[in-house]
Amino acid sequence: MIYRAFFLFTVLFTLAQAASAQDSWDDEQWDSDWGTEQDQSINVYGFVEAAIGGRFESSPYHKRLSIAEPRLQLGFDERWQDITWTAKADGWYDGFDETWHGQIRELNAQFTVFDNTDIKVGRQVLTWGTGDYLFLNDLFPKDWQSFFVGRDQEYLKAPSDALRVTSYFDWINIDLVWTPEFDHDNYIRGERISYFNPLSGQLTGDDPSIQFVEPTRDEFAVRLFRNYDGVEYAAYGYDGFTKSPEAVTENFQPTFGRLTVVGASVRMTFGPGLVNTEVANYNRHDAADHWRALVGYEQELWTRFTGGFQAYIEKGDTQTRTVLTTRLTWRDERDDLNLSLFAFVSPNQNDGYLRPTFDYRIDDHWSFSGGFNLFFRETPNTFFGQFTENNNAYLRMRYAF
Amino acid sequence: MKASFLTAVSAALLIISGQAIGAEKSARDIVEQAELNAYYSGDDGRSAARMIITDNQGRQQMRQFTILRKDQQDGGVQDMMIFFSRPADVRDTVFRVVKQVNDDDDRWLYLPDLDLVKRISAGDKRTSFVGSHFFYEDVSGRNTDLDNYELVSESEDSYVLKGTPKDPGNVEFSYYEVIIDKEHMLPIESTFYNESGEAYRKMEVLKVETVQGYPTVTHSRMSDLTNGGQTEMQFRFMKYNIGLPDSIFSERSLRNPPAEWLQLRD
Repeated sequence: MIYRAFFLFTVLFTLAQAASAQDSWDDEQWDSDWGTEQDQSINVYGFVEAAIGGRFESSPYHKRLSIAEPRLQLGFDERWQDITWTAKADGWYDGFDETWHGQIRELNAQFTVFDNTDIKVGRQVLTWGTGDYLFLNDLFPKDWQSFFVGRDQEYLKAPSDALRVTSYFDWINIDLVWTPEFDHDNYIRGERISYFNPLSGQLTGDDPSIQFVEPTRDEFAVRLFRNYDGVEYAAYGYDGFTKSPEAVTENFQPTFGRLTVVGASVRMTFGPGLVNTEVANYNRHDAADHWRALVGYEQELWTRFTGGFQAYIEKGDTQTRTVLTTRLTWRDERDDLNLSLFAFVSPNQNDGYLRPTFDYRIDDHWSFSGGFNLFFRETPNTFFGQFTENNNAYLRMRYAF
Repeated sequence: MKASFLTAVSAALLIISGQAIGAEKSARDIVEQAELNAYYSGDDGRSAARMIITDNQGRQQMRQFTILRKDQQDGGVQDMMIFFSRPADVRDTVFRVVKQVNDDDDRWLYLPDLDLVKRISAGDKRTSFVGSHFFYEDVSGRNTDLDNYELVSESEDSYVLKGTPKDPGNVEFSYYEVIIDKEHMLPIESTFYNESGEAYRKMEVLKVETVQGYPTVTHSRMSDLTNGGQTEMQFRFMKYNIGLPDSIFSERSLRNPPAEWLQLRD
């Protein structure tokens, strides 16, 4: 299996090098291809990547291997008829489920109408809100499976098929996103990462007998925002469903409960750093409502070493969860090595999640990344604690072109 | 009427004093004039830039980006956006800066793969700009209030000034020498010295062109004199006073770069 993956990587890599052969800067490095009106050609960009990773210990639910994939991403964007067209797609062989996969990450057109309104229609990645790996008002789909097995951070955001209309006015800007068909997260459901199933009351691996029932309705998200004198204010609204199955149908099948969220955020400089705060009210319609609130602060602690801290709470009538996070980042003098430690700790659930990572950029083409996904717990039924059997390490090597 | 008369008189006085300065011109006046010429030409501007970074083993990397700039006032607050096009891993990344004078800059970075507008906390400005030998501060301009200046020497065509930091704890140099060319009133060489008085870092201007009447550095080099390695930077397609609206400098342009202002043509 591993051999097959590496053979594929070699093939993909050779293709990528061929594709980027014209990108040599040795000759006429100052005069060639500035991307002027005259020399615009269709530019395909992307990367080839090989990733390998494994669990620390044999899990009763899964094999040791957590990730083994050669991946090719190709992207292209072009402005034509005052419309920016973007396409970006990934193809990879997944050594975990031993299958080929493809995903279109972007396929959209972006254009401006009435001077003040930007429209982006098609498949796109959507993000807003102020949290760092904590999402209160950002209910766009996320791919937690990719996040937990060590794929690039880019894959934490899953694409949406949506219409985004952003209008800019003097006093406020309005962002409207309509997703005709509900997009759930790529949530943890056992086939790759084991989790605690509250229905059976135990940790669960792949269990095909569990059928998740997906809603077929649309989703709306709205954001009103303004930057006034360096202070960023925003108010948010969402109408749709919980992004992972947190409800059950009458037949006790897990499903996605109705959800309406209203929230707000502020982000500004504060002393030598940045402070952000965000709140959201989660109205669950068929279940108990709760509040989420976040305060964050980030500062360069010393040259090229930055610390970020967040305090977060989810508070309902019956349940409370608190989370503290810290992100420590150091980069070297040449800006090619980045070391980072992101830690989630829940003081009231006694669990947590550590994400140490490194990214090393060898040159404009080659880079290396690696890291750990480490969960810890007191009991297996807590938010991070349920994933402890999936602790893993990974390495990725990428050739970008 | 009265106002315009006064303006005419003060303009005349400026011209007279400008010619009379010679040796009396203070070091600070020279530096401030050079700062305006180097970083504040026109009311706004657009330029494409390319950097070739060579490490001490001769390995090369490249950065390419387009800069849009607008001055709120000369020598004061400045809006800037930097749109990266190369290499592949930073393609379509956009950097937005509101350069402040007596406060930390406001900075944002747009990461297109995540559609993330990331606000960046104030950082040490004397660290590598996108992996090059230039510092962030070399690109955006070092606040002249941070240093004391003295005129070391003056020749027919240039001034040599010594800059000493008012707060030495904040910077890695103990002083620097800058040569300002009289013809264009632009810094054409800066050498930075460490505590033992050794030169370890040097900026040289390799080419100055006059664009719409503004002398503009179009090719420069920053060298690491201790470890070896250098970055050369060239500017092309410079245009001044293009009438950039304030609204360009906003979150909107991070997500949807203003194509009409980024079109490169001479």
